[in-house]
Formats: sequence, structure tokens, C-alpha cells
Amino acid sequence: MNPAMWISKTGVQAQDAKLQAIANNLANVNTVGFKRDRVVFEDLFYQVDKQPGAQTADNTVSNGVQLGNGVTIVGTQKLFTNGSIQTTGQSLDVAITGNGFIQVRRPDGEPAYTRAGQLQIDSNGVLVNAQGLPLVPQITIPNNATAISIGENGVVSATVPGSIAPTQLGQLTLTTFVNPAGLQALGENLFQETAASGTPNEGKAGDGAFGKFKQGALEGSNVQVVEEMVDMIAAQRTYEMNTKVLSAADNMLQYLSQASR
Amino acid sequence: MDKLIFTAVSGAERLMRSQQVHANNLANLDTAGFRASMEVATNQPLGGYGYDDRHLSTMQADTVSTRAGAVRETGRPLDVAIGGQGYLAVQNGDGEAYTRSGEIEIGPDGALSVHGHPLLGEGGPIVLPQHTAVEVGTDGTISVLTEGAKQMQVVDKLRLVNATGAELTKNEAGLIVSRDGGNLPTDPNVKVRPRALEGSNVSAVEEMVATMSLNRSFEVQMRLFKASDSMNETGNKLISG
Repeated sequence: MNPAMWISKTGVQAQDAKLQAIANNLANVNTVGFKRDRVVFEDLFYQVDKQPGAQTADNTVSNGVQLGNGVTIVGTQKLFTNGSIQTTGQSLDVAITGNGFIQVRRPDGEPAYTRAGQLQIDSNGVLVNAQGLPLVPQITIPNNATAISIGENGVVSATVPGSIAPTQLGQLTLTTFVNPAGLQALGENLFQETAASGTPNEGKAGDGAFGKFKQGALEGSNVQVVEEMVDMIAAQRTYEMNTKVLSAADNMLQYLSQASR
Repeated sequence: MDKLIFTAVSGAERLMRSQQVHANNLANLDTAGFRASMEVATNQPLGGYGYDDRHLSTMQADTVSTRAGAVRETGRPLDVAIGGQGYLAVQNGDGEAYTRSGEIEIGPDGALSVHGHPLLGEGGPIVLPQHTAVEVGTDGTISVLTEGAKQMQVVDKLRLVNATGAELTKNEAGLIVSRDGGNLPTDPNVKVRPRALEGSNVSAVEEMVATMSLNRSFEVQMRLFKASDSMNETGNKLISG
């Protein structure tokens, strides 16, 4: 059969996967703390039909024949550029300016990391994220707190009636990774450490690359709508062109079968 | 047998394999840094006895197009696009290979790689220390901001090489290598553009036109095939009476 058919198939499949990533990026354009995915392609191995530079009988050095086998997806890459900061004025909303992640504890006790700073207080007064997972280190807000403030360095303090000075309740920490793109996305805005991401590096907000907390603001997604739309058009047209080659390859086989009838 | 049929078959065979080259180029239309493969047809005269009328067609396909691809801004500090001619050097097995794909990844130990191949600097594979920010300069210098430091420090410089298209070919893994197998010299004139990626240099129009024209040429070969068949059939009729 005509190998061009299988090659165009890889092209069509790659664009299919790309469209899926674009659709997911666009669907999450308003998700707080979402980081966009990028699909990375590379060409498949080549088959060398004739080694370049081989000597032919009459002592001329021939050019070779190398035939490609199409395209493959190397992987998807999360891009950890910062999203735009939206001011919300809510005292429990925090945005992180910098590369740090907030650490939360999952129900199974394992840590997970997030950039989404829509914090809440659960029924026991514990500071939790939007999914109800407690932050690490755990901070408990007293019942009678009238105002909560989170400093740039992560110090959480509450004002309680009868006291003039706010009481310090604890300090939120931030975690960075050598290769954040290697983190595994768990959904729910959560990421998990992997062998590729490197070990978590925990530190105080305000130091180095950890970044600072900004109370009363949220980090939006880093999806650029125009860019995604342009990517979508390009993916659609590339898909179309690959199917055209597919039908051309099919036509060739058709001529062949008609000729030998 | 009439010899025409074999000449027609060599043409048809060539066209089908050429189609494979163009299908591969189009499949990689969206692969960052991909260099299009080029194919040419050459004739191969069959020597020997009598009137020299048979030239079979064969294909050559081991040259790469060195045209520049479209560059787009990505904003990622470790994306680099090469301006003009030039290549990044990566380690491939024991030797060196070259690529235009600038999607540099960083490993958990700080080692830089491109699609799994360690990226080479002027002092061998590049490994970044613990850092809070990284920047690539237009001459390929990589500098990092380490914890607590106020100024960026230069760690290494990308090994940027250059060669003319005629000296280059692709290996089985799709990386660019020099035709004689040796390492290319470092070229200080190669410039990179940080925070940008170069797309493939495949021209969709050219590939589509080539596909259409190959398709029709194949049809012509099949007509010749049929013509040769009917000539033989007529001959057979003559003999069988």
C-alpha cells in the first residue's frame, strides 16, 4: 500500500491532539490559576533506503534516499508564565506574584501544589483551598475573628473583638520546583511532584523566586484567547491539508487498480 | 515483452516514494524547527546494446531545505528561535547532532535538553545550578539569577553552529547531521532570539501543488502501463491468429 497514507494519518492524529489541547485551554480561560498546555511535536524516525555517499559501480558517490515516517507528539508542556492579576477585594483571595505554589494536603495525606488562591474557611475554622483541602502549614482562624489579613510574606493575622493589635495565626509558605513543567496536573488546579519536576523547595514568601502573596487579588489563567484562536485555525487547516494528501494517495492506488484491471 | 512497461513502472514507483516525502513534510507542518526534506528525480540510463532509449527514473531524497520558518513569540524564557542560518548542537548517542527546534526543557537536576537529547554548550552538556530566573541572550549566553544574588550570572553559552545546506543531511532520528559525519565548527555570527520559537519551514502551498502534480503524473504512468498492455495484447492476437 501507499505509505503516504499512514504518514498523513500521523499528521491528522497530531492535529486532533492539538485541537484537544486548544479546546481545554479555551475552556479554562476563566479558571483561576490555570496554566495553558502546549503540544510539542517532533518528526518520526527516518527510513534510509539508500545510504548517502554509497559508492556505485561506476565510482560515483550517490545521494541517498531517506524517507520520513510522519509526525509524533513528544508530549504536552504546561507553560508556567504568570497569568493576569485580577483585584477582587475579598480578604481570603490571594494571588502569588512569582514562581511559588501553595501547598495543600490531599485526603490521602499526600501533598499537592496549586496556584489558585481562592481560600476558604471550613467548619472547624481551618484555612482550606476552593476544593476544601487544608493548606500546609495548617492555619486555624478563631471563630470570633472580625477581619483576616494575609501579608506579602504570608503571615496570617486576625483581628478579634476586645483586642487592638491583630493576633498572628501562622505563616503560609510557598514551594518552588526546578522544572515546574514536569509537574503532573491532577485537575482541580492541583499539581503533584514527579521525578521530572525535581524535589519541592519550600520557603518563605518574599525570598528570591518564591514570590509574594497579594491579598484581595486572584491570578487568572495564562491562556491568550487570540493565540488559541489562531492556533485553532492553523490546526484545522493543517488537518485539512493532511487529509488532501490522504485522498491523493488513495487516488494513486485507484489509478493503479484501474490500470491493472 | 515490450520494455515500455518497465520504464513506466520505474516512474510510478518513483512518484509513489516522492509522495511519501511530501506527506512527511505536510505531516510536520506544525513541528517546531522542522526542516523540510527535498526530493529530486534523476534519470538512470540503461546501458547496453542497441539504441539508447531507456532511461529509468530514480529518486534522491537526502537534502534538507534551509529556508527559514516563521518565528512566533511564546514568552517562555527557555524557548529560542535561531535567526538566519545556524543550528543548536545536541548530544546524540556518542556524537553530536544539530537541530533548529528550540523548545529547551529542563530536567530535575537542572540539565537542559531538546526532545530528550542533552543540549550542548561550549563546555559540553549544559547543567543549570539552582536558580530563580533564567535568560538566554541573543548570542546564546545563558545566565541565571541564583538565590539571594542581585545580578545575573553567566553559566554557559549555547554551542551554535553553521553550515551550508549542501553539507547537511538528516539522520534516522530526524536530527540534522553533517554529511561527512564530523562535528561542525562553532560560528560566533549565529544569533538566537529568546522567548520565541521557529515553526517548520514547510511551504504548505508547494507541498500541496507537489502532491497534486505527483497524483496526476502517476495517472499518466498508469495510462502508459495500460497502453503497453494493449500493445502486447494486439501482438498476441496477431500471433494466435
